[in-house]
Amino acid sequence: MAPPLLELRQLAKSFGGARALRGVDFDLQAGEVHALLGENGAGKSTLIKIVTGAHQPDRGTIRVAGELVDHLTPATAHARGIACIYQQPALFPDLTVMENIALRLEAGAPFARVDWKGRRSRAVELLRRIGAEISPDAEVRSLSMPEQQLVEIACALGAGARIVIMDEPTASLTQKEQHLLFAVVRELRRSGVGVIYISHRLEEIFALADRVTVLRDGETVGTNPIAAINEAALIRMMVGREMTQIYPPSEAAPTEVALELRSLGCAEAGVTDVSFQVRAGEVFGLAGLVGAGRTELARILFGLTPADAGEIRLHGQVIHPRSAVEAVAAGIAYVPEDRRRHGVVLELPIAHNMTLAVQRRLFPRGWLRTEAEQSLALEFIRDLAIKCTGPDAPAGSLSGGNQQKVSLARWLATKPRLLILDEPTQGVDVGAKGEIHRIIRRLARSGLPVLLISSDLPEILGMSDRIGVMRAGRLVGVLPGGSDAHAVMAAALGQEQGAA
Amino acid sequence: MNRYLRELSVAGALGLLLLAMAIFAPGFYQPQPLLSLATREAPTLVVACGMALVILCRQIDISVGSQFSVCGVAAGLMAAAKVPLFLVVPAAIGIGALLGAINGVLIAGLQLPSIVVTLAMMVTLRQGLNLQQQGVFVNLPDGVQWFGLSQLQGQWLVVAIAVLLTVLLGLALRRLTAGRWVYAIGSDAEAARLAGIRPQLGTFLVFVVMGALTGFAAALNLVQAPQVQPLSGSGLELKVIAAVVVGGVAISGGRGNLWGVFVGLLLLAAIAPALIHLRIEAYWEKAIQGTIILLAVVTDSIRGRAPKHPARSH
Amino acid sequence: MSVATPTSPAPRAWLALLRRHETILLLVLVAEWLFFYWAGTSTNRRGVVVGFGTLDRQFDILRHTCEIGLLALALTPVILTAGIDLSVGSLLGLCAIVFGGLWRDVGLSIPLAMALTLTCGAAAGGLNAVLITALRLPPLIVTLGTFSLFRGLAEAITRGAVTYTDFPTGFLALGQERALGLPTQAWVFAFAAVAVWLLVHRTTLGRSFRAIGFSPEGARYAGLPVNRRLAFVYILAGFIAAVAAVIYTARLGQAKADAGLGYELFAITAVVLGGTSIFGGAGSVHGTLLGVAAIAVLKNGLASLPIVIRLNAAEELSGVLTGALLLVALTASVIPRIVSRLRPRPAPPVSVP
Repeated sequence: MAPPLLELRQLAKSFGGARALRGVDFDLQAGEVHALLGENGAGKSTLIKIVTGAHQPDRGTIRVAGELVDHLTPATAHARGIACIYQQPALFPDLTVMENIALRLEAGAPFARVDWKGRRSRAVELLRRIGAEISPDAEVRSLSMPEQQLVEIACALGAGARIVIMDEPTASLTQKEQHLLFAVVRELRRSGVGVIYISHRLEEIFALADRVTVLRDGETVGTNPIAAINEAALIRMMVGREMTQIYPPSEAAPTEVALELRSLGCAEAGVTDVSFQVRAGEVFGLAGLVGAGRTELARILFGLTPADAGEIRLHGQVIHPRSAVEAVAAGIAYVPEDRRRHGVVLELPIAHNMTLAVQRRLFPRGWLRTEAEQSLALEFIRDLAIKCTGPDAPAGSLSGGNQQKVSLARWLATKPRLLILDEPTQGVDVGAKGEIHRIIRRLARSGLPVLLISSDLPEILGMSDRIGVMRAGRLVGVLPGGSDAHAVMAAALGQEQGAA
Repeated sequence: MNRYLRELSVAGALGLLLLAMAIFAPGFYQPQPLLSLATREAPTLVVACGMALVILCRQIDISVGSQFSVCGVAAGLMAAAKVPLFLVVPAAIGIGALLGAINGVLIAGLQLPSIVVTLAMMVTLRQGLNLQQQGVFVNLPDGVQWFGLSQLQGQWLVVAIAVLLTVLLGLALRRLTAGRWVYAIGSDAEAARLAGIRPQLGTFLVFVVMGALTGFAAALNLVQAPQVQPLSGSGLELKVIAAVVVGGVAISGGRGNLWGVFVGLLLLAAIAPALIHLRIEAYWEKAIQGTIILLAVVTDSIRGRAPKHPARSH
Repeated sequence: MSVATPTSPAPRAWLALLRRHETILLLVLVAEWLFFYWAGTSTNRRGVVVGFGTLDRQFDILRHTCEIGLLALALTPVILTAGIDLSVGSLLGLCAIVFGGLWRDVGLSIPLAMALTLTCGAAAGGLNAVLITALRLPPLIVTLGTFSLFRGLAEAITRGAVTYTDFPTGFLALGQERALGLPTQAWVFAFAAVAVWLLVHRTTLGRSFRAIGFSPEGARYAGLPVNRRLAFVYILAGFIAAVAAVIYTARLGQAKADAGLGYELFAITAVVLGGTSIFGGAGSVHGTLLGVAAIAVLKNGLASLPIVIRLNAAEELSGVLTGALLLVALTASVIPRIVSRLRPRPAPPVSVP
């Protein structure tokens, strides 16, 4: 029997103190679709980055077609026929499909003549091979996202890829486009290519995959032939873990409704018909998979992509924020997911970061008052236990957890009427994580309604008074705080619907 | 069809202008003045080709006018010192390439914004030239003007060379691998890097080519008069940027072609004489040029060809 | 434990102050001034001190610097937001013509003409602002277009030939007389400098400029009205350019279409030399003022050197040196980045999103 296309043994990788992979075994046979499944943060993306050469493993071995590879770089991974199709394709938007394919395939001497005929027939052939009905002369920027993915697949095939990694390829596809993509994947399998297929959608995995491997907390939980396992068992494998962290207990005595969404939607953001209520003093968790529309919902509330359907009531008052400026004026605070790009301005001092959203209130008529600013900053530094050399240190000099606290302080300073937290503990060390959780509790106790978006399932379960589950831009269920992981995961994956 | 919409619409505008001239100022259509006009604009066309490369790479070079003057004076001084023309022309190209290389090192190597670097280069070179030349014209010996040919032959030769060069560059940009790399770098430098192209090296070389073309254009300008004016290139940068932008090369890089630039330059070149024939004062030329640049970028933005990165393009 | 005291030991503070860009620039400026004082001052045959070292010459420097200084003040907020405005020099020319035309051709009184000119400058800045914020066009190409447009309009209005002269002496006093011991326009400049300094360093607007310059997206997520702030800096730049135009006209006693030609370079150089990052966010108004002073002293100091006088090349030499200075300052500004890039990196660049 031929050796597997790809064989990983005991791969381990740490980032700083965080252990992303703790010994993963994985193998891929020729002509196989091998699904990789796991919660967010289970180690899937680290694994992919190692296989594509972007990261080097700390331990473990990689064999490609039976041959031991000890140093995989992006270039050597490419040369060994490993290709990855990302959700956001790395294509040239201004150039045509044909040119994109050609640029990726031909290294070429600078003064070689471009063989337009050969390029065209090559592009046509590759596109036909995957059954894509895309004109080779179309400009890539005019293509839809799935069409761009197909172009990426065509590039990978053209480059002679034997191992194709697909990272959530259907996340932004319509039903029809998905079927087209599945046909392509089956075609790849028929031609002897090995496909590593990453998806959260169980029905896809059952429809496509030959085998499935589940990762959890950086370890392989198990590899099974698809025929030998059912959905319930898969979900159990994904979430079956004991709580490692103690969450501060909820003391919510929710009173009146603070936030009410009625059939809220925004076509641009891909969010449809979301309705729920959050009471004052309640932590409302929003669970769902990456791309389920949770961040998009937050952006609607914060006015970054204004709603085009439904209404938002904040403390009984209908609001329609069309920009972040209006949302802030309405009392909405949003601690964004991407801390370094959106949450704080890294180069500005901590104090300036904290007062950026309260300039109007803190500095009447626009004159800066250093003492007021310093005392506000010192107060928050003390209150939130921010580890820093002082309020004048640039925010970029802090650790992730402390940056997150600065971002939080900025919004607490606005005395908000609604606090939206988007992945507040992502990339934050364990100690700071616990502190942030206690801060959230304290805020809720003071009567603030909190909308908590998190992909960390235990966090959602441990912190929320109620849990809304989103899937494909819709709210598919609201579960009580004490729900178990299985129920939340099932709803997020689209199994056994809970009532909305 | 849609791909060439911009080029066609500029050609249409040119057609309308020419039609208007045919009706209201038929005096415009006299062979000799038209040939002189084409000869005068030939060096501009060569520089515009270089500028198109630079803008396709998502950079800009506003020092070309000064480079043009420096190359012109240097070539003129050499010609005045009886250096044969077949050596003067390569020397002008070489000097231009060297100046372009300085820009290239600062922009591609040090990753400095091209607008500021070339602004500084523009003034340094211009004032350096003033310092050296003190406004004195360089008188050329006989046999340099029109390459020693008759004026008519010389004019045709200059125009033919410029057009031929444009066609060759246009073909190279379309048909050589290196040409496609220019588009790739301007479209997305990071994706280009992933595809095995070296964006920094490419950008550097584009600035070198820009300089070399400017040097050559200065040589084409040299042969048109018995003397070299020390500031022959002042204002040239705006004219060629206008031609390139009007010709449909997106300021955000990666889009456009030399045919569009050619038509764009024809349109702009026809405006000044058209103004005179239509009895509009020529003082409006600069204002009209500015308006055309703004209109071109505004229509680009409205047609959805807006810059991918709305902040400053570095 | 978690909160360190913000006060640091005194010697450290001294060192930090010494290493500041502005301090170094100040020392360079003093050295420059002393050099020209030494090399450019002489005693003529009648025993009178002439050249750089005289008080009259120093006032002259101040007089000649006000317009470029104003443009540099106008550009500081623009560059802080990571933008650029190449059109200020052209706008100075256009406003000078508008002012002259309003006074002589339309027959308005001087104060009214001034007011309308300032409005015109702000409106021209508004054109830049609309194109940059509403249409999201890059400031570079927009202001390159208006650079040509404004100068072209000035030429078109004057047909390239008209020069407005014979302004009333009361108005010329603004540019040629002294008030309270200093050249009159120096007071305007000082007022503008204080105003822009307060704006940038003491108001929330200035704070927003920095935030936008460092991270436009971060500023938007903080709920700052990014477009309004950007519009403000370009309109302000237009307004200040108009003020410079009025002073320019008063100093020379004439308004011509080529007024302020090439001034944008000196202004940008002064700003960058003063330590404001061309990539936005970092910088100061006092740095800009030092940058302006350094360029002004260079320009006028050169003009007083015997050798330069003999060559009659002050203008050209100062242009060459200013351009070269800008390139050197830019290069110096990226050296820390280059050095950090040359250090061995732990891993190859990650190309995975």
